[in-house]
Amino acid sequence: MLEMNNINKIFQTADIQTHALRDFCLHVNEGEFVSVTGPSGSGKTTFLNIAGLLETYSSGEFLLDGKDVGKLNDNGRSRLRNEKIGFIFQGFNLIPDLNLYDNVDVPLRYRGFNSKERKRRIEENLERVGLATRMKHLPSQLSGGQQQRVAIARALATSPRFLLADEPTGNLDSEMAQGVMALLEEINQQGTTIIMVTHDAQLAARAKRTIQVKDGQVNEQQSAPILNKQAIA
Amino acid sequence: MLETGLILRALARNKIGALLIALQIALTLAIMVNAIFMILERQQQMQRASGLDEANSFYLTNTIFAQDYNIISHLQTDLHTIRNTPGVIDAVQINAVPLSGSGWSMALQHQPGEDKDAIGAAIYLVDEHGINSLGLTLIAGTNFSQADVEIRQDGQSTWPSKTIITQAFAESLYPDDWQAAIGNTVYISQHQPMQIIGVVKALQAPWNGWNGVERSMLVPFHRASKGSYYYIRTEPGQRDRLMPIIEKALAESDKERIIRRVTTVEETRARSYQQHNASNKILITVVITLTLITGFGIVGLAIFSINRRVKQIGTRRALGATKGQIMRYFMLENFLISSIGVTLGCIGAIALNIWLVNTFNFAPIGVELIAFGVIALFIVGQLAVLYPARKAALIPPASATRTV
Amino acid sequence: MFNYYLRLAWISILRHWGLSLLMVSAIGLGIGAAITTVTVNYLMSSNPIPEQSEQLFYVQLDSWDVNDPFDDGLNPPDQLTYTDATNLMRAKQAFRQSVQAQAFAVIEPTDPDMLPLIVNARANTADFFTMFNVPFLYGNPWSQASDDNKEHVVVLSKASNEKLFGGENSVGQSIKLAGNMYRVVGVIDNWQPKPRFYDITTGAFNDTEDIFVPFHLIADEKISRSGNTNCWKPTGDGFQAFLASECIWTQFWVQLNSAQEKAEYMQFLNAYVQEQQQLGRFQRPIDNRLSNVMQWLASQEVVADDAQMMMAMSFMFLMVCLLNTVGLLLAKFLGKAPEIGLRQALGASKRTLFYQYIIESACIGIIGGILGLILAYFGLQGIELLYGDAMKDLATLDSKMAGLAVVLALFSSILAGLYPTWRACHIQPAQQLKSQ
Repeated sequence: MLEMNNINKIFQTADIQTHALRDFCLHVNEGEFVSVTGPSGSGKTTFLNIAGLLETYSSGEFLLDGKDVGKLNDNGRSRLRNEKIGFIFQGFNLIPDLNLYDNVDVPLRYRGFNSKERKRRIEENLERVGLATRMKHLPSQLSGGQQQRVAIARALATSPRFLLADEPTGNLDSEMAQGVMALLEEINQQGTTIIMVTHDAQLAARAKRTIQVKDGQVNEQQSAPILNKQAIA
Repeated sequence: MLETGLILRALARNKIGALLIALQIALTLAIMVNAIFMILERQQQMQRASGLDEANSFYLTNTIFAQDYNIISHLQTDLHTIRNTPGVIDAVQINAVPLSGSGWSMALQHQPGEDKDAIGAAIYLVDEHGINSLGLTLIAGTNFSQADVEIRQDGQSTWPSKTIITQAFAESLYPDDWQAAIGNTVYISQHQPMQIIGVVKALQAPWNGWNGVERSMLVPFHRASKGSYYYIRTEPGQRDRLMPIIEKALAESDKERIIRRVTTVEETRARSYQQHNASNKILITVVITLTLITGFGIVGLAIFSINRRVKQIGTRRALGATKGQIMRYFMLENFLISSIGVTLGCIGAIALNIWLVNTFNFAPIGVELIAFGVIALFIVGQLAVLYPARKAALIPPASATRTV
Repeated sequence: MFNYYLRLAWISILRHWGLSLLMVSAIGLGIGAAITTVTVNYLMSSNPIPEQSEQLFYVQLDSWDVNDPFDDGLNPPDQLTYTDATNLMRAKQAFRQSVQAQAFAVIEPTDPDMLPLIVNARANTADFFTMFNVPFLYGNPWSQASDDNKEHVVVLSKASNEKLFGGENSVGQSIKLAGNMYRVVGVIDNWQPKPRFYDITTGAFNDTEDIFVPFHLIADEKISRSGNTNCWKPTGDGFQAFLASECIWTQFWVQLNSAQEKAEYMQFLNAYVQEQQQLGRFQRPIDNRLSNVMQWLASQEVVADDAQMMMAMSFMFLMVCLLNTVGLLLAKFLGKAPEIGLRQALGASKRTLFYQYIIESACIGIIGGILGLILAYFGLQGIELLYGDAMKDLATLDSKMAGLAVVLALFSSILAGLYPTWRACHIQPAQQLKSQ
């Protein structure tokens, strides 16, 4: 599903070279829920940006759903993002000038669905996150947890194979965080692969698989069994 | 993929910003269209043919200050001298110069009498060399003969019995068929009969702002006056060479008069339309500056709003928008704002025009010009937003995951 | 605190220099255009003789064609016939009165080596100089008695005196015009009223004449008339017939020092016209007018349409520039929302924030105003260059206009800053801080 082999990302400024990722290798299979942890500056965000095709890498090989990402141009990457990846950001990144309905509509517009299809998907996904009744509200009229639910609905609207979550609960209090987490787990169980970056060890532990990034390299932990149990329970 | 609805809803949340640009565009359109209209009107006035051979003609003033001076015999000598100067095509004594701003006018009427309607025209006093000297085209009838030319004393109230008029004047006198003018008798100075013997194509009056500027008449007179003009037409390319030669020849032949203001007709035209030209230059500057200000205003506001929306644009990119789609978004946004602007602007342009019509006897504006202004401003808007939109398109999608 | 705001404004202006440049240019261009056109209009419509303008009256009588009114019946003729002007002069019913007409002359050299000189002349009567407060460098106006005795006297302009006598006191010297000798009685100092109100029939902004000669010379054919002549009725042959004709070519001014004098003079004019009607003249309804200087200039519309049109356009232009500035300030201030939120959190009240941002707007306005003043200076130079003689002396900035420029810039920038500032002050601090 997601296959990164020896990915390197080097930031070049006038006089300093920074290795954000160093021979980074990771394989994620369909249906997995992977949490990525690590101290700040470890390369978590760079990994997420590359995984989400938001950034290019300096060298290495990255196959997404069997497709060599390195061979794609900007437009190709945009299309792949739109079709295969759903994003959830720490700051929600809702467009403040648009109401919930229109916010969820944004990626659907880029996909080019017809209006009937868009309407169905928007309503279905807002329903899924429990905000169908507030479609005409603006983001500023919602609580943080609700805003993140809208962001999740937006991420799911295009039926992506992948969900990339960047500190999805970072701006939320623990009660709201639990709710969002539960929603993500539910989505995962319905078949969507999720990669979640977080620095919250407790949340990370709820994932089926936890990897740790340190100095731009993967350091995998075997915490899966605990999670499996939970999942079964 | 039309996002019109989405953009409109987003704009509705930021009404004032959009409205400010729209109002700017509206005012710009209103001013621009009217200014261009004024420019074109003036341009048109300036392009009217004077009827003269402007490039090869000049004139000078002859002012006699001596007492007991035989004006007519000196006039004959002067004209003889000038006409026989190599390079000169012809020369004539005249009472006024077209476009110069000062001259004479008289009115002609079909019936004699004080209470009959008369039509005014500029009157030029010339001899049989008038048509050739001025470079006019006789399109009907005949020229004066030498025998027609009478001597006119200052203060004389009688007029010769023949006249040649311009086609425009003939059309005013005989609206149905200007050619009917030939051979007809009209009345000058209310009672004096005068026969129209010829029609020339064009000859403008001395006053460019007069609405009858195309109406002129020639009458065969030599003036026994202490002040008059000599109007001289030369062969092509000879004018500048001959001007000092003739001035000197005249000045030296006779010390009892002053030869002054040796002026080309081209200079006269330039001076005559100096205000037109000046106003046009100012208006062109206004139109250009205004367009630039509006353009740069759009650039400034767009850059600012894009800088504020970096994360939002990054998010859109993350959600799958291509660069082209981002660019299109801002271009379309500008197009929508421009649409509101030009709609208001059309109303403004017409309102301003109505005010100008009422206050300054302005002519009403044409629809084509408004259409031109609308298109021009759409283009200006799209060009202005091109750079900011491109900047927006280059915002990396990774901006979405950056905090702050 | 004011200094602190000034410093903040300065930092902010420099920090966003591109935006500041745009705003300053916009205000500068707007103010520049407005001040340029206002100056031209202001000079065109200025009072050329403020100390006396209320007492000087231009006389109009409707002597025109019964079948075809003058000026489509809107105004009586703008000049008088020679007959009426001399009749009114002879009647001497006003405190002062002067008849005048434009003329030209050739000054013949007494020294055969020198060239003759063509000059513009004004033919007028003695009161002209006192009524119009003409300043004299040397000598005096000629007297009423000189007029009555038809003396050959002349008053020179400063420039002609320089040409003819090298600038020396030439009173008592003589010049030769059309074969006659004329005694110089006075030399006028610099005198260039704008508009040249005493005769606007050949252009309201012409220069004053080179020499001034007694009006009686025209009737005696000792000097040639020029200027506008309008006739509605054929004249007979010869100059005497012309003088007796219905052609209008003279201007007539009276000085009347009180409303009562004015009323009495009006009565006199009406009586005069009635008397003339008995003689078969003045067949139109009586329409006599006495206009003081400013009324006269207004009725003759000396301010060019072009100038007014340009002024209207320039104010619309200024409005575009202001809208531009409002937009940019709004963008700028709202862009500062996080900073504003922070300041509020640190204890800034709405009022202090208001001051801070309005001062920033004013600073931009003042810089824009100064730029505008510079642009207006060049704009006026440009106008003078483009229009040439028509705009001579009508395109100079004075301190009043400079002051107006700065005030207008300040006022408009504060006006432009009001809404953006108001919006900035109403930013919710909590929201801004939360999203940090």
